[in-house]
Amino acid sequence: MSDVITLAHGAGGKQTAELIDSVFKAHFANPEFTGDDAAILSLGGQDLAFTTDGFIVSPSDFPGGNIGKLSICGTVNDLSCMGAQPLYLACAFVIEEGLPMSDLERYAAAMEKTAAEAGVRIVAGDTKVAGKGQVDRLFITTTGIGRRLPGVRLSGTEAKPGDAVIVTGDIGRHGCTVLLSREQFGIDADVTSDCAPLWGTVKSMLGVTQDIHVIRDATRGGVGTVLYEIAAQSHVGIRLDRAAIPVAPAVSGVCGMLGLEPLYLACEGRLVVFAPQAQADAIVTALRQGPYSGNAAIIGTVTAEHAERVTIRTEIGAETILPPPGGELLPRIC
Amino acid sequence: MSIEKKDLARHIVTSYAGPKIRIMEVCGTHTHEIFRYGIRQLLPPAVDLISGPGCPVCVTPPGFIDEAIYLALEKGAVICTFGDLIRVPGSAQSLADARSRGAAVQVVYSQLDAVKYAAAHRDKEVVFLSVGFETTTPGACLAVLQARDEGITNFSLLTANKTMPQAYEALKDSADAFLYPGHVQAIMGTEICEKLKADGISGVVTGFTARELLTALAVVLTEFPKGKPFFKNCYPRVVTAAGSVSGQKLLSQVMEACDTEWRGLGVIPQSGLTLRPEFAAYDARVKFAVPPMDGRSNPACRCGDILRGDCRPPQCPLFGKVCTPEHPVGACMVSREGACSAYYQYGGLTL
Repeated sequence: MSDVITLAHGAGGKQTAELIDSVFKAHFANPEFTGDDAAILSLGGQDLAFTTDGFIVSPSDFPGGNIGKLSICGTVNDLSCMGAQPLYLACAFVIEEGLPMSDLERYAAAMEKTAAEAGVRIVAGDTKVAGKGQVDRLFITTTGIGRRLPGVRLSGTEAKPGDAVIVTGDIGRHGCTVLLSREQFGIDADVTSDCAPLWGTVKSMLGVTQDIHVIRDATRGGVGTVLYEIAAQSHVGIRLDRAAIPVAPAVSGVCGMLGLEPLYLACEGRLVVFAPQAQADAIVTALRQGPYSGNAAIIGTVTAEHAERVTIRTEIGAETILPPPGGELLPRIC
Repeated sequence: MSIEKKDLARHIVTSYAGPKIRIMEVCGTHTHEIFRYGIRQLLPPAVDLISGPGCPVCVTPPGFIDEAIYLALEKGAVICTFGDLIRVPGSAQSLADARSRGAAVQVVYSQLDAVKYAAAHRDKEVVFLSVGFETTTPGACLAVLQARDEGITNFSLLTANKTMPQAYEALKDSADAFLYPGHVQAIMGTEICEKLKADGISGVVTGFTARELLTALAVVLTEFPKGKPFFKNCYPRVVTAAGSVSGQKLLSQVMEACDTEWRGLGVIPQSGLTLRPEFAAYDARVKFAVPPMDGRSNPACRCGDILRGDCRPPQCPLFGKVCTPEHPVGACMVSREGACSAYYQYGGLTL
């Protein structure tokens, strides 16, 4: 472990996990602290999901959204992945001196609109202003609480050999969009962020069957990082089929040019779902009716062999390993 | 058995029954794509695929990193660089270490961005770490010309640019055939490949898709048993005999050949490119009178043997133990296109 914090510690991959284990888990360990997207708290006979998320994306406006919309989606989706209906949010703003009032107004409006769509209310908040240069424009932290639907037991430890692995849409759009909107590559591609609140998507799946083992949103580290997390938490192997993974042509073009793996590009409106094979087709059919999951697809299966590994059948039909996540990914994408 | 045309290359590769052959790919992108597509899994035991010195980050010697750190810490220069170089170990530290001790290190994605940065920060000296082969070097030449034309005087290059042909000569006993990098030959043309063939060195120009790589391997495995030196251009949609005349012109206008050190291979005469004397004002070594630096590598690190094909990454005592992609000791582990990094990421499991 290095003696200073590096960007890799925030990339959502292996170093992030090491940091959480060696510092935060070491100090905060308790029975409710788990590796899932939200903690499940039993209060007054009800199971509540509780979580928080910070947002520092640069640039704060990007095609398909802005930091305000993103800050609602991130927390709503973390709650949704536990099978919990998001109810209330609190938000904290750290604002840089000099931020135009009209920008703040725009982000607040985006938050309001997204919260309304997700059916949550923003009920508390905090405002801090930092001196010029102490933050980059605006950082937002949102904290949310939701009520878990009765009978639902979703957790990263529940993936079983034989499960189908489903993604709810084409992958990597958010990471690709933010990358390109930084203009440093001089690449012009028609890509918009997939940023979306996904409670409706989760509800539609749970409407088909409650026999779903894992739902997790692919954020910073992309779908690949989620797959490695689940493989480790559930102690299973995962076998992917490259040809089945939905990637928008513009995203795969950009990945080809820059040597990026779309499985490791951030998403902000995509879920990775593990469910018994028998339910998979019905889940995908239901997903394809939804507004944010029109190109949902089964991309692989869970195996008992190669535990804690993700393997992939390549374009030429060879079986190889998906290299595990790690290192400095794209900084500040969420 | 009828084999569909599209599967012919694959069939030739998987059913090869000729004499043992060592094929060396000398391009980091080839190394990476070969692993990514799982091509190694298709090869019969008689075919030995070796990852040679084709990743510019991997062949950059520690002394070059020392020079960059000297410029940053002693001369207060802002170092602009492609991201990969930041974690390459110098003799005592990497640029990432130096950055946490106050060195100004800026990641850029093109040489022209470094010029732009210099233009926007006229009060600072900006040094671009110019590494790379014939594919990357024209961009550095362009950057120097642009700086000159725009009167930007606070921009210079620290050069470690390299050219491939001399490396093939130096490595000719390590391999029976080379996969020539398609993008290098797109700039330089194929005359040099014909010349290598006349010197007894075999190879094929190879593209980057799964099919192009398989086709190139199939051609090598078809030609090799005939027992004579061969050359084929298997990437004709991009590579012509003449190459890119404008790219070559740019190179010869701004740069000239020099001796240069390759990590693991030592100094190969005339295998480097440096700025011509008339561009000395843009040469950081001249401008800042950088003293000569003999960089030292970790003595246990076998990157040099690996780059020559004398040893495979798992045979290095540091591999996967103290040397990992998160904490690289050798350059071949730093770059995603390095042989050690590829073995580490893809090689842990035989399917």
